[in-house]
Amino acid sequence: MAYGDVVVLDDVDLTVAAGEIVALTGVNGVGKSTLLTCIVGFRRPAAGTVSVLGGPPRDNAEFWRSVAIVADQPTWYPGLTVRELLELVRMTHRPLRGWCLPADELIELFGLSARADASPLSLSSGQRQRLSLAAALARPTRLLLLDEPEQSLDAGFRQELATLLREQYAANGGTLVMATHDHDFAMTAGARIVPLAEGRIAEGPNAEEPVP
Amino acid sequence: MTAEPATIADEAAPASVAAVRSFLSKHRRRSWVDLYVVGFALVIVGIYSANFLATPLSRLSHPATHAAATHAAATQAVAGAGLVIGVGVGLLLLAQALGPLALSPADASWLLLTPLDRRNVLRRAALSIAGLATVAGALLGVLGLAMAGPYLRLTGSGLPGSWLFLSAVAGAGCCLAAVAGAALAQPQERPRAIIRAACVTVAVAAMAGAVAGERWSAITRAVTAVFGGLSTPVFDTAALIALVLAAVAWLLLWRRLASFPASVLRSDSARSGRALLAAQYLNFSLLFWIAEDNHWRGRLLRSRPWPKLPPALALAWADWRRLGRRPGPLVILAVGAVLPALLGAAVTGRARADLIAVGLILGAFAVGTQGTTATKRDQDDPALLRLLGVNQGQALVARAVLPSLLTSCWLAIALTVLCAVGTLSGWLWPLLGLAAGPGVAAGILRMARTARINPADRGPDTPMGNTPPWVVSRMLSVIVALIGTAPLVGALLKGDVHASTAIDQCAASVIVLWVYLMIARAMSR
Repeated sequence: MAYGDVVVLDDVDLTVAAGEIVALTGVNGVGKSTLLTCIVGFRRPAAGTVSVLGGPPRDNAEFWRSVAIVADQPTWYPGLTVRELLELVRMTHRPLRGWCLPADELIELFGLSARADASPLSLSSGQRQRLSLAAALARPTRLLLLDEPEQSLDAGFRQELATLLREQYAANGGTLVMATHDHDFAMTAGARIVPLAEGRIAEGPNAEEPVP
Repeated sequence: MTAEPATIADEAAPASVAAVRSFLSKHRRRSWVDLYVVGFALVIVGIYSANFLATPLSRLSHPATHAAATHAAATQAVAGAGLVIGVGVGLLLLAQALGPLALSPADASWLLLTPLDRRNVLRRAALSIAGLATVAGALLGVLGLAMAGPYLRLTGSGLPGSWLFLSAVAGAGCCLAAVAGAALAQPQERPRAIIRAACVTVAVAAMAGAVAGERWSAITRAVTAVFGGLSTPVFDTAALIALVLAAVAWLLLWRRLASFPASVLRSDSARSGRALLAAQYLNFSLLFWIAEDNHWRGRLLRSRPWPKLPPALALAWADWRRLGRRPGPLVILAVGAVLPALLGAAVTGRARADLIAVGLILGAFAVGTQGTTATKRDQDDPALLRLLGVNQGQALVARAVLPSLLTSCWLAIALTVLCAVGTLSGWLWPLLGLAAGPGVAAGILRMARTARINPADRGPDTPMGNTPPWVVSRMLSVIVALIGTAPLVGALLKGDVHASTAIDQCAASVIVLWVYLMIARAMSR
């Protein structure tokens, strides 16, 4: 995978099992986000293959029924409240069978109860990040990709989020791949750490070791 | 942190795009005032457009014998035809820059990467661009016919209604086919670049032909001879071909919609959303910034050493280097210097000083804004402004140099073209343009340095609703530019220039720019 002459990812071989949590780590620009966009098919690798849930990423209804990605701050509907937005997300994914949390539950878990009837535009950047993640968990997908989910979140909530991902999402069969700089967050989530360096999966004492 | 997981029941009603749209419209909190403002603005635009188009459309009622008696009438026909073609490809370029297929940024965020049927999600956007293309194309078709008006060989008492209808159909069909073609090419960069290059080539050829037609009668004779050869079968054939092309292109696009790539739609929707927001707030600097961001993202550049300059000039050098690396837009704008010469002739059949003045000021604004990208960026980021470590007053003076030079050169070129085609006479006009540059630059800098837009700000009430302060601010920037170019505008309206006018213009430019820089410097302390 290259941008012009710059090779970002080279010879990456990664297999993620169903129900597993994987954390891609590494310095800025090492290709963590690029790998996520390759997994969902936004970018095509120059060589090699990507297989998601048994087939290549297809960018169709069937694929997005099973896969969700939180990669950047979304644009909010100006007229909708936090609760309505989560209802909308659940609505767009009906009639599906799978694990997800009800909107009110999510609002409470993500500490947005006081702002449930407010416009997302009036939220702080941290609260907006919470809402983005809540919306991701409002979809009953089998694979969830998160790009730096911990950004803008306070330290306390990072731990709560990591626990939620481990005890709720992965425990119910969801597979999670995230790009992160926060090792503590990844470890609390029980993630297998996959360090990237110079466009490859790095060798190291902790590489690909699942956290107990 | 615990929660009870839930399983969405199988028996839940299937969510359709229509149901989602209905949910969204039900929860959209719009007051009747919003609708009133939109309606009022449309009525005003309609009135002004009708007034503007009345003159060229009146050519349709001119008798054939009255036609080509004068060189002016032939010139107008050629200039008008060139302008119609130029506007057509310009609209296509604009559509391509905005997508052309794009959702609202919120729709792109929440409806695209879902199990919803992609074609149904995109249906509204596709129908919108089809509607706009139909209206614009039909109007251009009728305007094209109007340009040929006096040269058409009519057998009866007047222009057949069928010719008018078929022209509108042909124009609409061509526009529809072009927009659908641009949408089909949207996912791949290479076809996009080919369409862009073709549009620029056609526009340059049309403009060059139109300007040349003002000077050489051979061109006007050839073009008017083509107009004279138009007949009902020609109109029939043109309309039929355009309709077939449009139908094929839209059929292909309709089939493509079901699998239109989400990644392209996401990035194009985000860009077009930002651009439309910037246009809505008349934030021209932001529009150029968006275009720059879109151009440079993902490009690899070779680093070159920064020239040894005083700190303020070194800071301002960013825009010089950027323009040096990307001269394309400047070349296009330089070619656009022929537009003021065409505008008056094409619309009214004679050079109208007020239209020329408006064209010159707008063109100078567009060119000068190319040199204020860094100014706008720093102004939008107070932290960055502090980190620059350069005296803000000195930085502002240094940053005034590039827009002043750009506007000076462009005005000089545009006025030279006006002299070359015989609209203006005398060698002083280009000098006047050179002198007027800094005057316009003061307004451009003021616009670039306008503080961040807060849509919630309220200003004075008008019949069109509440006037937000940003509108007042933009208008003040235009007024500053007008004051800075008052001698030039005055000379254009009078059609007369003297050496004293050039001296007045120099003084006005220097005073307006100096006063603005002093005020800005004092306010930034």
